Amino acid sequence: MQELLKILTSSVGRKVLMAITGLSLSLFMAFHLFGNLFLFVGEAAFNSYVNKLHKLGFLIRIAEFFLVLFVMSHAYSGILLWIKNRKAKKVVASYSKENTSSSARTAAFTGSIVFIFLATHWSTFWYKFNFDLQGMSYYYVVTESSVGFGSPFVSFFYIVAIALLGYHLKHGIASAGQTLGIVGTKYERVYNNVSSIFWFWIPLGFISIPVWFGFIVRII
Amino acid sequence: MNINLKIWRQKGVKEEGKLHNYRLENVDPNISFLEMLDILNINLVKEKRDPVAFDHDCREGICGSCGFMINGRPHGPQKATTVCQLHMRSFKNEDTILLEPFRAEAFPVIKDLSVDRQVFDKIISSGGYISANTGEVPEANETKIEKKYADEAFLSSACIGCGACVAACKNSSAMLFTSAKVSHLSLLPQGAKDKDARVINMVATMDEMGFGSCTNTGACSAECPKEISQENISRLNQDFIKSSLMGLLKRNK
Repeated sequence: MQELLKILTSSVGRKVLMAITGLSLSLFMAFHLFGNLFLFVGEAAFNSYVNKLHKLGFLIRIAEFFLVLFVMSHAYSGILLWIKNRKAKKVVASYSKENTSSSARTAAFTGSIVFIFLATHWSTFWYKFNFDLQGMSYYYVVTESSVGFGSPFVSFFYIVAIALLGYHLKHGIASAGQTLGIVGTKYERVYNNVSSIFWFWIPLGFISIPVWFGFIVRII
Repeated sequence: MNINLKIWRQKGVKEEGKLHNYRLENVDPNISFLEMLDILNINLVKEKRDPVAFDHDCREGICGSCGFMINGRPHGPQKATTVCQLHMRSFKNEDTILLEPFRAEAFPVIKDLSVDRQVFDKIISSGGYISANTGEVPEANETKIEKKYADEAFLSSACIGCGACVAACKNSSAMLFTSAKVSHLSLLPQGAKDKDARVINMVATMDEMGFGSCTNTGACSAECPKEISQENISRLNQDFIKSSLMGLLKRNK
């Protein structure tokens, strides 16, 4: 046990933990989007999908527990590494940034915004869906209510946060490939190709929902 | 050509430093950057002022002694070049050039542009060697090495340990250096025997020495005068994960 702890608290170990939790959360995102896209199919389809999930009962609770655990450990390792890295660097009067991508430099910042988004996401959507439906349908909560895309502020924040999440993943997924030792192997190409699905197409899919239900539908 | 210099002057490890301005006129554009500093120092000595301290040795780009920040970039603007191989023709007339030491908590400034890079030696001594018997010179080609590995190990072994990677990194991480040393030895059959212990010990020492963690930004490889690639870091991570898991399995048996 002590050995395992020593490995996990080393700089590489912490990053491996970040990579694994980050990639798992990315996979969850794909699953989450799959559900969300039922909104485009129609009200009945979306409501019945959510009902089916609810019927799974404690399985969903276990999955949620792991999701929160992964988000927390990802954030915890990230913060620890960030503090350590701040301590290790001395100020340079003329530090050139041209060799680092801005997605890499801002990963801690974009991650923090995504975390704030997740906190509001849980306290609004998730809470309403689970405990405070007040006779509304799931579809109505998402598309019309004040915690959903009925509010232009919610829609706007949602779009910004997901865009930043995509930017976070642009660096994050490439970085995870390096941390898990995929770069330089024969799997690198496949990995890079698949990664764009996660940092570009899936976030775009999420963004399409508030854009459609929050703005376009209201205008036309 | 005429140039204006802003140079970080610091008397010692614990002293506060600050930037000083100097001006050099009629500099031959074909002299090297360090020769330009030599001229500046001769002038300073003539004026009975303290010359600027900077590290240098071979001036051929292979020893790893030289190195400081030029306009915010380790070893200056030219790709794959150490400071000693940089020439004044890389700059324009009346340019202002800002010189600072490599900055990292693990690299204390000894004086001016000279930093203490002993921590690199500590990382090396924790695993950057092979345990082979000394004695007669072995027969050439006795140990066969696949070309692919020989080439990779050769590229990794090009690291001169100058510390530019640490200076270029926003986190002052020594991952590129450490991974180059690990790759250089672990890819070859002579070094493969100590592969597991090497990667674990060298990472542990690297962590102890106050370097930051790698966030895979790639700035190190971009600035490395020997163009050590990011693949080394990936390989180190892979070795670290494998060796750790193997170690755990063995211990629990």
